[in-house]
Amino acid sequence: MKGIVFNLLEEAVTNAHGAGVWDDLLDAAELDGAYTSLGSYADDEVFALVTQASRRLAISPADVLRWFGRAAMPMLAERYQIFFDGHKSARSFIMSVNDIIHPEVRKLYSGAGCPHFHFQNDADGRLLIGYHSPRQLCQLAHGFIEGASDHFGQTAILEHLSCMSEGHPLCRMAVDWPS
Amino acid sequence: MTEFLHTPGSGKDLVIGQSGPMRQLQRQLARERSARLEAEAIAERGLRDLYESQRWLELLQRITDGANKARDVRSSLEMTVQEVCVHMGWDFGNAFLTCEETGQAVGCDCWFAAHPDMLFAFVEASRIARFSPGSGLPGRVLRDAQPHWIDDVRTDGNFLRRDVATDCALSSACAFPIFYGDQVVAILEFFSRKTLLEHDALVTVMAQIGIQLGRVVERERAQQALLYDALHDNLTGLGNRVLLAERSSAAFQRLPNDRNGLVALVIDLDGFKAVNDRYGHQVGDALLVEVASRLRSCAADFEVSASLGVRHETNIARVGGDEFVLLIEGAVSDEALSALATDVHRRIQSPYAIVSDGAGIGASIGIARSNATHEDFGQVHRDADLAMYAAKARGRGTTVSFTEDLGQAIRSRAQLERELREAIRHKQFTLHFQPIIDFRNECRVCGFEALVRWQHPDRGLLSPDEFMPAAEDSGLCIFIDDWVLEAACTAIGRLHGDNEAEDLPFVSINVTPKQFLQPHFVARVREVLMMSGVAASTVRLEVTEGVAIMDAVRTAQILDEIRAWGVRTSLDDFGTGYSSLSYLQQLPFDSLKIDRSFVTAMTDQRSRNIIKTIVDLARTMDMSVIAEGVETENQHIALMAMGCSMGQGYFYGRPSDATEAFAFIRVDSSLSTITPETVRQAL
Repeated sequence: MKGIVFNLLEEAVTNAHGAGVWDDLLDAAELDGAYTSLGSYADDEVFALVTQASRRLAISPADVLRWFGRAAMPMLAERYQIFFDGHKSARSFIMSVNDIIHPEVRKLYSGAGCPHFHFQNDADGRLLIGYHSPRQLCQLAHGFIEGASDHFGQTAILEHLSCMSEGHPLCRMAVDWPS
Repeated sequence: MTEFLHTPGSGKDLVIGQSGPMRQLQRQLARERSARLEAEAIAERGLRDLYESQRWLELLQRITDGANKARDVRSSLEMTVQEVCVHMGWDFGNAFLTCEETGQAVGCDCWFAAHPDMLFAFVEASRIARFSPGSGLPGRVLRDAQPHWIDDVRTDGNFLRRDVATDCALSSACAFPIFYGDQVVAILEFFSRKTLLEHDALVTVMAQIGIQLGRVVERERAQQALLYDALHDNLTGLGNRVLLAERSSAAFQRLPNDRNGLVALVIDLDGFKAVNDRYGHQVGDALLVEVASRLRSCAADFEVSASLGVRHETNIARVGGDEFVLLIEGAVSDEALSALATDVHRRIQSPYAIVSDGAGIGASIGIARSNATHEDFGQVHRDADLAMYAAKARGRGTTVSFTEDLGQAIRSRAQLERELREAIRHKQFTLHFQPIIDFRNECRVCGFEALVRWQHPDRGLLSPDEFMPAAEDSGLCIFIDDWVLEAACTAIGRLHGDNEAEDLPFVSINVTPKQFLQPHFVARVREVLMMSGVAASTVRLEVTEGVAIMDAVRTAQILDEIRAWGVRTSLDDFGTGYSSLSYLQQLPFDSLKIDRSFVTAMTDQRSRNIIKTIVDLARTMDMSVIAEGVETENQHIALMAMGCSMGQGYFYGRPSDATEAFAFIRVDSSLSTITPETVRQAL
């Protein structure tokens, strides 16, 4: 997992709950917490932090991931404004992520594994998003979609059609932005 | 003064002096933190820039290498549009050459489409289109001698293919000139479904690419000048095209009224490109010189042997890279011509001193005689050319004489090609499915092979044998192959519906070598799986050994990647081709398909031995074996007894449309009843 994710998580936790809580999470997860955006860290570390946050806040890990994804989007928009420019809606922005995330991550870290999203419109005009990642972080993707919708002043309605954690080959979500 | 700050949740109360050392520490920490963020940002920027410039350099390097190796301008243009599209993630690239006579930009049928099936109409509207200076996108580049960008093809006032581009969902475009001196000699245009961002690095790199391609143009023009200025090919000393045109036209004028008495042999080398690629142009050139000398000897011997009191004059010309024409004036018997062709084959195939190991050089020969239907020598030459292509199609080292039937066959083929284009446009293809039976599971239907059919408007349902060769020759097969992949997955996905059982029937899809080696094949398979929502484990891709022979390393990579998602792979027609053990060992296949010819010939002990050997081999390599072409109960019982895992053939069911095929998911279970007696009888 890329250091930037840990940086964003730290910022989100600190903003919402104070610096002490982040320290507590690191202590509970037995992590030293020195993360730079240039580095890569074991996936287990992020899962350990999510587990601790889930215990501490008494919400499910899935809720932690969704909350984090949503909270991280304004920070991403601040750091990487260029990727948001030129988009007028969350749909258009979300459909560009393969072209943003992949080249960007690969530029910085050769050999990095990235999630790949497939897009298609269903009969009702909803955006179908197919997602295949060994990390199975579809709830984080869910949060990012909500955060992106906030950014463009929209409300997203998401439905998880299938999930890798339930043995499906792909996670599939349907997203609608009712006007 | 001291204040108490309670940090929520920390469980610790910190005592902070407003002007004490703690505050100093906090400020230091904040400074350190912002310095770290800034350092990270600087490093990220640097890494990004470095990566970008490396990628540009790699692209430029690939194109420079390609241009240096290119045989001619067209092949270097084709290579460049593909490289640029793949690099930039653009959907379509197309090249134009400037016509010296009309001053127009003329599409030279050098294009690349990432997803040809979706762009068929636009490819057709672009690949041989013509644009005058100032008109349309290529015309503007031609007039202004500088790149042009179109942000939105739907609203641009001077974009002539707007409707078809809009239908194909293309949204933006750019085009670049290629210069020879200060003259625009070619234009590359690119299209994308996404917005193209104009940026300086791209313009600089495209200018560099333009310089490299300009050099190829320069090289080709210089060669052409040499070839056309003199009457002789300066490499081999043979007459050239100009000399051939002069001599042949004079000879044609001298013919009697029935126009009999002139023969053209078109001799095209087989395997010459391989020598050029492997040993370089110098050796290739030396080889051509040697070939020319051998042809001279053939012609000289022919003149001596065939001239029984009849005047014969022969002329040899080199009319293309590895193509020669032998012109014979005077009455020649069929036997003498046939002996001459045999002599040419024999001499051309003999070993060459300049290439150490047998270079595998041969000739394909087409022969045409002048007759009353010809109006000039060009028509005789054209007939001989067509015969030569027919010889090429038959295999290396063959001769074909032109006949009216052959001419008719070629015209029919051209008609078929036109109809195929219509068929693709109007979606006249359909899929049939043939059941595959699992011997290990009560002979139930475990899957289907998808087989393409053409619902021809006049001729009814056509099988692939009747149209795929023409589709392959004309390059149309990529559209059909892609449709088959998508339609087969969609059909099986529909059959499965929401059913998530473990033993759902699979669909087996034939993948052609050309399709398999497309740069986007892997991505395309994934996309089709995603769109159809079908479980990867219920899709089997069948490839033939031809794929492995072209590029075993790449084939293994592609198969590994596809299998990683759960897709199964099958080696089709096993036993008919090279059937090399080393391919089998290197390539990750889940199953082998025994070619139907062995099953048909099962009454012969040798065929049964071969099948048994294949089954044993597959078992040691942990592959399952599917027998194709099972037509009788005896064959069925014997194949089961030999240990085949699955069977397919008329005995179980003919290919039929999806509704009919999917209706019989279960086959009479009496198939599985095998007694020692039935086995003894069958074997």
